[in-house]
Amino acid sequence: MIAWLQQFVHRLRSSFANAHVDRELEAEMAAHIELAIEENLKRGMPAEEARRSAMIRFGGLEQAKQHHREARGLPRFGAVVESVLQDVRFGLRTLRKKPTFTVVAVLTLALGVGANTAIFSIVNAVLLRSLPYRNPDRLVRIFFNNPGIGMRDVLFSVPELEDLRDRAGVFDDVSTIGGGSVNLTGASHPERLEFVVSHPNYFSMLGATPQIGRLFGPQDFALGFAPAAVISDGLWRRSYGADPDVLGRTLHLDNDPYTIVGVLPPEFRHPGPTVSGNVEVFLTAGFSADPVPTPSRGTRFMPAALGRLKPGITLGQAQARLTAMANQLRHDFPTDYPAQSKWTIEIKPLQETLVGNVRPMLLVLQGAVILIVFIVSLNIANLLLARASGREQEMAVRLALGATRGRMIRQMLTESVLLSVIGGLAGVMTAVGTMGFILRFVPSNIPRLSEVRIDWVVLAFALLISILTGLVFGLAPALHSAKVALSSAIREGGRGSGYSTKTGRLRDVLIVSELAFAVMLMVGAGLLLRTLHDLLQENPGFNPSHVIAANVWLPIPNDPKADPYLGNPPKIIFNRELLRRMRAIPGVDLAALTSDLPTTNLSVNDAQAIDALAIEDHPVESSQDLRAERIRISPDYFKVMQAPLLRGRSFTEGDEEGKQPVAIIDETTARRYWADRDPLGHRLRFGQDPKQPWMTVVGIIRDIKSDGLDIDGIPHIYVSMYQSTDRGLSVVLRTALPATVLEPQIRHEIQSIDSGLPVFNVSSMNDVLDASVAPRRFSADLVSGFAGLALLLASIGIYGLLAYMVGQRSREIGLRMALGARRDDVLKLFLQKGAVLATVGIVAGVVLSASTASMMASVLYEVRPHDPSVFLVVPLLLLAVALLASYFPARRAARINPIVALREG
Amino acid sequence: MPEPKLDLLQGTLDLMVLQTLAAMGALHGYGIARRIEQVSGEEILLNQGTIYASLVRLQERGWISAQWGTSDNNRKAKFYSITKKGRKQLAADAVYWERLSSVMSRVLALEEGGRK
Repeated sequence: MIAWLQQFVHRLRSSFANAHVDRELEAEMAAHIELAIEENLKRGMPAEEARRSAMIRFGGLEQAKQHHREARGLPRFGAVVESVLQDVRFGLRTLRKKPTFTVVAVLTLALGVGANTAIFSIVNAVLLRSLPYRNPDRLVRIFFNNPGIGMRDVLFSVPELEDLRDRAGVFDDVSTIGGGSVNLTGASHPERLEFVVSHPNYFSMLGATPQIGRLFGPQDFALGFAPAAVISDGLWRRSYGADPDVLGRTLHLDNDPYTIVGVLPPEFRHPGPTVSGNVEVFLTAGFSADPVPTPSRGTRFMPAALGRLKPGITLGQAQARLTAMANQLRHDFPTDYPAQSKWTIEIKPLQETLVGNVRPMLLVLQGAVILIVFIVSLNIANLLLARASGREQEMAVRLALGATRGRMIRQMLTESVLLSVIGGLAGVMTAVGTMGFILRFVPSNIPRLSEVRIDWVVLAFALLISILTGLVFGLAPALHSAKVALSSAIREGGRGSGYSTKTGRLRDVLIVSELAFAVMLMVGAGLLLRTLHDLLQENPGFNPSHVIAANVWLPIPNDPKADPYLGNPPKIIFNRELLRRMRAIPGVDLAALTSDLPTTNLSVNDAQAIDALAIEDHPVESSQDLRAERIRISPDYFKVMQAPLLRGRSFTEGDEEGKQPVAIIDETTARRYWADRDPLGHRLRFGQDPKQPWMTVVGIIRDIKSDGLDIDGIPHIYVSMYQSTDRGLSVVLRTALPATVLEPQIRHEIQSIDSGLPVFNVSSMNDVLDASVAPRRFSADLVSGFAGLALLLASIGIYGLLAYMVGQRSREIGLRMALGARRDDVLKLFLQKGAVLATVGIVAGVVLSASTASMMASVLYEVRPHDPSVFLVVPLLLLAVALLASYFPARRAARINPIVALREG
Repeated sequence: MPEPKLDLLQGTLDLMVLQTLAAMGALHGYGIARRIEQVSGEEILLNQGTIYASLVRLQERGWISAQWGTSDNNRKAKFYSITKKGRKQLAADAVYWERLSSVMSRVLALEEGGRK
């Protein structure tokens, strides 16, 4: 063993010191020759003869050197390395000799691998990598559900949270998560930003550490809100210039003062749903005193909870214990848990709740890029196969000269893998270079986008994809050329004759699969595009053109004394003043206010946003089921939005506090709660408080897509903003002016009323609608781009195949023509070949798509996965393109001059 | 017409080199080649250059060692000498060759009918 090692080391060293050893050998051989000459001279030979004899006896200097090198060179391993290097050098030479082929192959590969790398880096960051918290697999989101009345994720009360913490026995830590957006004042300028309010254990539960200062701890415990705030790295840099002395400074959130105690590191993100963008201020509270109501089991106002499971408890065990606890609680407190609601507790892994809703879309995209790389490699396989057929003669000669078939397969595979690695490198570089650009198009509501980066996992994936494609597209031609029959190939090659049937069939199969994959991608793109198109065609219930929206929130201070908008009157005064000023802006025709701008109502979930309802003539016991979303509007709202009133009247300035309370319902509400009766004049009210006054239904409006273009069937009830006020306001203006022109004036007018109010998201209503379908647009555009690429590659494939056939068969065609075939016949011959290939590929693709399209159902809206129009248009389009791609080579075949072809063939 | 010279059997050159070095002490490449030619009575077809492949092979196995030195007539040359390991190897190989050649001569001595 040791001897073997010594020998190995010696050889290794000698292989590194080759030049040196060669020089030494030369000196040694020179000495040898000199010694021989001297001896010959001594024996009396003449000088010339002495040298000649010495050289003859030595027997060839170069040969001796070669033997020496062989004897000292690395055996086995070294020989392998040597021959691989030789293959690589040879491969590079071959690739350089065919620059067009190489460029096409490398470019398409770069596209395929680049697209895969880019999409996978997103998939990896969003779906695969575990959350950046301590033991992320033990973190769960806790949901409270009322499955009996079809409601998930309902609000919960302080005692219910305490049960989780003290009684359930499955959590190490539990924290309430509340929050939303607030007005920040006291920094550089008024700003709307997101905050989270939690129990003080929030950060320790997640395992977060501060960048500077401290995070929350037991010392921050307060019954109500603690006066401390932790801010994000982003806010620290933006509003405080990354000042290390920020600690101890005061910021005002909705007029309440907080002292900054710490700054989070840049990578920290709140692991929960956010309204838009990132949470930038973190507060803590005990949720047991002002501003929240006195705790009682039935006072449910807390929106979300996170928990950390105790070590050693599985998700299933924890769920079982929580279900048992919920059953016990329902039994113990029957008044707080009405039997029909079947109240229960559910836990889900945090990661799942964060990324679950984007998984289908990302997987569709990943599937699309994998299909692309398939098509790319089939295309290259085809080109290589064409080349392999061209190289049959070379291969046959090499076989005849004694190359083994295995050696030749290796040579071909080396070439392919070389190609794929070059393409892969180009692809990764493309992806790295364009990642920032790509991410700008990724809709920002995909969570964890900030974690997207090209790391080792992504690089390994890219390498794997490149090598696999290299093997895929290299294997077929390699196996093919190794099967070359010696004699026939040399003979055939020599004569430059036809399209040999064996390769021909393989190439046909490749083209057909390429077309089939292209069909799948195109069907996917078609379905996504139809969904998007349908959504944009979908009547939103109003006319978004010439409408500009801007958002304002009146602060909600915890301290009533800091609240200039306490009660209805100051809010109504503010609303009227705001509208007066808006109408006075030149170019504004109409102005109105709403509490819920259509399609921006990003309420975390529907169950919480929809208010319970009572209707006067409905039986009381069914009141649990009555729900509708309440939207507060000013009188001109429907006029600004040009939403058609179906019956009754709109609100007027007279529908104000102290007058008869009124409501306008939408069609869905009318249909659901009045069926065939006339709702006008009937009375309803929100909540179950019998002291609330009834509101009279005075009008019915057409359904407005308030919750998103793809969400239907939620009942809406509009109430007058002068009777029921709200602090979250969207201003809508009917005007011909663009948002950018109006924005400064809108902001100026609103801040003239109250300089502490941020004005945000000023944009046209069309842009608002557009933004609401951004994720769908992103995936539809991306998959369509891929489908277009697939179509292009498939047509290149067909074109290449037929052009090659025409070249190979030019003699045969010439012969046919000489024997009387007409040009039309030749044209038809090749067009037919293209049409047959296309048809087979299309049929295969349609069958494949039909069987996989249902996987896309979750990303479609009102388009069935087997949408007939998509399944009709795609095959026709592909057939047309295939025929066009076949036409050019076919025409060339038809123009062959038989005399020239026969002579040159 | 003189008798044609003998081709070297595979592996025999290494053994000859070892034996030469064992018998003669340190020698340079030319010296080894000449010595083998002389001993063989000029019967072997030896391209002297091939000796160097054999030398490097033996060196790698640790059976001989090499050192630059000066020849009798003041010429710089590389001198080879057998190592302890090489002597062991030589002993083993010599036994092997004796056995092989005695077997060969017995086989070749067989007369028709299988009798000696």
